[in-house]
Amino acid sequence: MNSTLRRLLRRKLAFAAMLIILLIAGAALFAPFIAPYNPNEQFMNGLSVQGSPLPPSSHYLLGTDLLGRDLLSRLIYGARTSLIIGILANGVAVLIGTFLGLLAGFLRGRTGSLIMRFTDLMMAFPALLLAITLASIFSPSLFIVALVIAMVNWVQVARVIYTQTISISEREFIEASRSLGASTPRILFKHLLPHLLPTILVWATLGIATTVLLEATLSFLGIGVRPPTPSWGNIIFENQTYFSTAPWLVFLPGLAIIMLALAFNLLGDALRDELDPTQRGRS
Amino acid sequence: MTPLLSVRDLVKTFDIKGKGGGVRAVSHVSLDVQHGQTLGVVGESGSGKSTLGRLMLRLVEPSSGSITFDGKSLSGLAPREVRRHRRDMQMIFQDPLASLDPRMSVRNLITEPLVIHRIGTNQEQSAKVRDIIERVGLSQDALDRFPHEFSGGQRQRISIARAIITMPKLIVADEPVSSLDVSIQSQILNLMLDLRRDLNLTYVFISHDLAVVQHIADTVAVMYLGEIVEMAPAGEIFNNPKHPYTQALISAIPQIDTGQRRERIVLSGDIPSPQNPPAGCHFHPRCPHAMSICSQEAPVPLVLQMPGEALGTHTVSCHLYTPGSGA
Amino acid sequence: MARYVVRRLLQSALILLGVTFITFFLLYILPADPAQQIAGKSATPEVIANIRAQLGLDQPLFTQYWHYLVNLLQGNFGRSYIQRTDVSALLSSRIGPTLYLMFFAILIELIIGITVGVIAAVKRGKPTDNAIMLFSFIGVSAPQFIISILMLYVFAVKLHWFPIGGYGTPKHFVLPALTLGILGAGWYGRVMRSSMLDVLRQDYVRTARAKGASEIRVVLVHSLRNAILPIVAMIGLDIGFFMGGVVVVESVFAWPGIGQLAWQAIQRVDIPVIMGVTLVSAIAIVLGNLLADLISPLVDPRIKLKR
Repeated sequence: MNSTLRRLLRRKLAFAAMLIILLIAGAALFAPFIAPYNPNEQFMNGLSVQGSPLPPSSHYLLGTDLLGRDLLSRLIYGARTSLIIGILANGVAVLIGTFLGLLAGFLRGRTGSLIMRFTDLMMAFPALLLAITLASIFSPSLFIVALVIAMVNWVQVARVIYTQTISISEREFIEASRSLGASTPRILFKHLLPHLLPTILVWATLGIATTVLLEATLSFLGIGVRPPTPSWGNIIFENQTYFSTAPWLVFLPGLAIIMLALAFNLLGDALRDELDPTQRGRS
Repeated sequence: MTPLLSVRDLVKTFDIKGKGGGVRAVSHVSLDVQHGQTLGVVGESGSGKSTLGRLMLRLVEPSSGSITFDGKSLSGLAPREVRRHRRDMQMIFQDPLASLDPRMSVRNLITEPLVIHRIGTNQEQSAKVRDIIERVGLSQDALDRFPHEFSGGQRQRISIARAIITMPKLIVADEPVSSLDVSIQSQILNLMLDLRRDLNLTYVFISHDLAVVQHIADTVAVMYLGEIVEMAPAGEIFNNPKHPYTQALISAIPQIDTGQRRERIVLSGDIPSPQNPPAGCHFHPRCPHAMSICSQEAPVPLVLQMPGEALGTHTVSCHLYTPGSGA
Repeated sequence: MARYVVRRLLQSALILLGVTFITFFLLYILPADPAQQIAGKSATPEVIANIRAQLGLDQPLFTQYWHYLVNLLQGNFGRSYIQRTDVSALLSSRIGPTLYLMFFAILIELIIGITVGVIAAVKRGKPTDNAIMLFSFIGVSAPQFIISILMLYVFAVKLHWFPIGGYGTPKHFVLPALTLGILGAGWYGRVMRSSMLDVLRQDYVRTARAKGASEIRVVLVHSLRNAILPIVAMIGLDIGFFMGGVVVVESVFAWPGIGQLAWQAIQRVDIPVIMGVTLVSAIAIVLGNLLADLISPLVDPRIKLKR
């Protein structure tokens, strides 16, 4: 693990990516200490005379939004939302995907086929449509949004883990474990899972890029995180109409989203290169 | 004397996906393994010897036939019960690099059987592990290292340590020295012999290398295309082989002592595909002594007379010895 | 081979059946009541109940589903709750623009993707390669709606080169197609690059060089043909993705395709339309995957058909 980390750090892009993630995570973590104002507070002097958002000033470093709230504070707290949902959603997706892929790959036979057929079925769903439909159906809590995103994302993980599990379980040390008398749970957790960890790690990282993007899209459409809770996506959603007069309201959160997704993509890709050279460059 | 392991009419057919029919890897094998003895199972690749070894431990499910271990039926047990019996019967694999989990330390690898079968407290387990590692000829500091840090011979010692730590009664060794350098082979063989004596082990030793089996086996069974064609005490097999296939195999053993030059019997043809074995006696297309009956009727195992007071029985499946066959 | 196709088609039909059922079920359990939506805020409970009976919404799940299936097999996708038209009519009128967009978007993706992929492979390790790779990463990391808005802002609002969305003249589709094309090119670019690198390493390329062929000839004639094979399969997958993902772009550019139709339907809980669009998208995905799986072994004899 340590050697992987060291090698990773030597790659310039991966290093930059990690810095970006740390930066954003830091902002999210220390939001209450860093943000100059309460993100939900609508200020009396936060709007211009005509009622439109204010441009950046010494008072409001990045200006205000359509309701007179400080953009910078909202961006910082938005980091929280995006990261939490991204990590939570991906965590659940990786968990489900690993569990199902592992089971299907190890047990094979009828159960395995059934599980993989189910995966095929889920793959046939247009992901975005499904997410949008689900998100509109259920009540708009952060948790639900994360869950919806997870439902859409677990399939890819399951497939990869499935093929990997099959190839690992054909290796002789698995047969050796059976000959020792190890039970199936023991083989799965003590022998298979540790060998799957590199792949799981790669997907745990790469997947966050997808979940963050999906959350942003859902919030932008108005069915993800609902205001007043700030999310980079819904900041854009709320302020769309002002994008010709106050484009930074749209592009700053947009830039933040791209940076975060990019960072996780770069990191995940570098991890994949390090941990599994057979899959270089493929997505 | 009840044999430690007894198989009767064991058959294993592997299905081929999509196409009909299957591969008869093991065909109607019956044999006994007595306590404290070493049974050598020899044959070329495709003979089914590896499958037989796995069937004996029920690592592979038999298509039909029975397995009896230590007087109790093994083939009739539920899988969970079978797992419990594993502490008494262990396997050593051919490729120690592949059969040892590369991510586990040697200590964990060797302790694992004790953990699985819940033998001893943590302290007792550690003590056993420390004891075993020295018994197999490795030092204590090997325990914290990983399989890839060792040489082939050392890795096989680790495999052996893992196999004997539960004090099993039976060990099936599948080509345990085939992947090792010749000089190391004798070291490992000697280790296995010492352990057999010290721990009162019973071995089933599978190998394609007759020279190796000569060293270690008390009884030898020769397999061809899934069937046992001849089985006899080791001395008999090597000095008095009856089956033409056995004779050819023995003749091919490299002789160092040039005073005893053997006639090399070269067999014609290749080993036929196990999917489509020849009719009658499977060996007849390559047999230098084939008769007309050989292509029609499969020979049954016959017990032969052995010279003097030799222990055990000599069985052979060959029409040359069928009374009245005209041989 | 024919047997494989038939088997896959049957599997696909089953999968599509599954899709319809799950979607139907999800829409059935949603808390929003379509009858209420149609009736409006001030309707009395009787009116709502009436509408429900009319639409058959008061019947048990399986009965409704069965009716739906039976109709479906006859080509009847049902009637939209909101717009008083057959869903099939809506779908057929909207699918044209989406397909149009998809065609050009994929074309742009391929042109850009293949070109930059080849260049990156040839200039491997040098700044050009790194820059190209970085841009592909950005392409994969940028959400469609941001780039759409960006393009709209820069080229339509500020520069007035293109109209701000809508449909009609060729000018209208440049921006959406470009947006999709540039983003998607990143995906193709990376695959093209790694595929090209693999090919350039091969012995037969060395042979061509040894025979004295110029570098350009080596690259374009000998290597490209082989390196492009994985891309062909990807197009099939891309078609599938596309259908599911056009919602955003079509909404931002007011492009009247099925994506926009879906979005409107979801907002108004127009269940039959939602079902219809989901089904059409699923068909596209399943067919796209099938196409990719069928083409792969055809162009690369080393890949055998699985299962």
